[in-house]
Amino acid sequence: MPSRPLAELQAQVGDTHRTATDLAIERGKVAEFARAIHDPADIYLDETAAKEAGYETIPAPPTFTRTAEFPRYVPDDEGFDLGFDPARVIHGEQAYEYERPLYVGDTLTGDTTLTDVYQRDGEGGGTMTFAVLETAFTDESGELVLTATGTSIETGQAISEGDE
Amino acid sequence: MSTAYAVGDTFTETTGPVDRADFVKYAGASGDFNRIHYDEPFVTDAGYDSVFGQGMFTAGVASGLVREVFGLHALAEFDTRFVAQVWPGDTLTTTVEIEAIDEGDDERRIEASVTVVNQDDEPVITGNAVAVQ
Repeated sequence: MPSRPLAELQAQVGDTHRTATDLAIERGKVAEFARAIHDPADIYLDETAAKEAGYETIPAPPTFTRTAEFPRYVPDDEGFDLGFDPARVIHGEQAYEYERPLYVGDTLTGDTTLTDVYQRDGEGGGTMTFAVLETAFTDESGELVLTATGTSIETGQAISEGDE
Repeated sequence: MSTAYAVGDTFTETTGPVDRADFVKYAGASGDFNRIHYDEPFVTDAGYDSVFGQGMFTAGVASGLVREVFGLHALAEFDTRFVAQVWPGDTLTTTVEIEAIDEGDDERRIEASVTVVNQDDEPVITGNAVAVQ
C-alpha cells in the first residue's frame, strides 16, 4: 500500500521548494566522487591536466549534483513531504540538461519543482507511486548551470526479480 | 572538441566486478545513505535478497565513458533509466553508440544511446546522451 493518499501528493504538483543552498563545488569532494564512480580521470584530480584539456579549472562529473543531498546543503525548511518509505523507494530515472560544465569554485543553489505524481500497478511490486522532481541549479550570478530531473518510485513491496 | 563521429560508432568500457565496498564508497561520496545499499539486515527484513547498488552509482560509472567520448563541454544531455538492480559481484559493461548526427548551420548535434549491462548481458541502465559541438 502507498504511504500517502495520491490526492495529498497531487496537491503538491507545481510547488517549488529551495532544496539546496551553498552547494560549494569543492576539489576534494570532486576527487572522491570521481574515484567512487570509477572515473578518476586526470581532469577531475589535477588542475593543470584540466586546463590542458580545455577546461577553466577542475570540472565535476556529470552526476555530481547528487551530492546536494548532504545535510549541510539542505535548508532547514526542506522541500517536499512525499512520505515515501525509504525501504520501498527506488530511483526510476534520472535526466540532466547541461548549460555548461560544472567547475570547482562554483557555488550552486537548487530549486526543485514537483512536476508530476502518478500511480501504476506494478507487476511484482503492488501499487507503485511515481514522483517526478525537477531541480534547477543556478550559480552565484543566478545563471542556470544544469537541470536535474529525477523520478522516485515508492513500490508496494520489495521488488522481487524473477517473481513476475 | 572537434572529434569526428559516424552513426554506428560504438564505444565500450567494462567495470568491476563491483561489490559492497563500491556502494559504500558511493554513499560516502554522494550523500545517498539509504540503508538499502549497505545494511544487509535492513534489506533482508524489507524483503530483498541482499543490498544493491545505487542507481546513481551505475549512472556515474556510465558517465565515465560518456565523458571520455564527448568531453564535458559538448555534453548537453544525459538520461538514465534504472531498469534492473546491480548486485554485489556484478560486472558492468557500458556501451555508447552514436545513433544520429544532425548538422546545423553553426553546430552539430550528436545523439547516442547509453546502455549498461551486467555479466549476463541483462540491461541495468538504458539511456541517452546528447552532445552539441
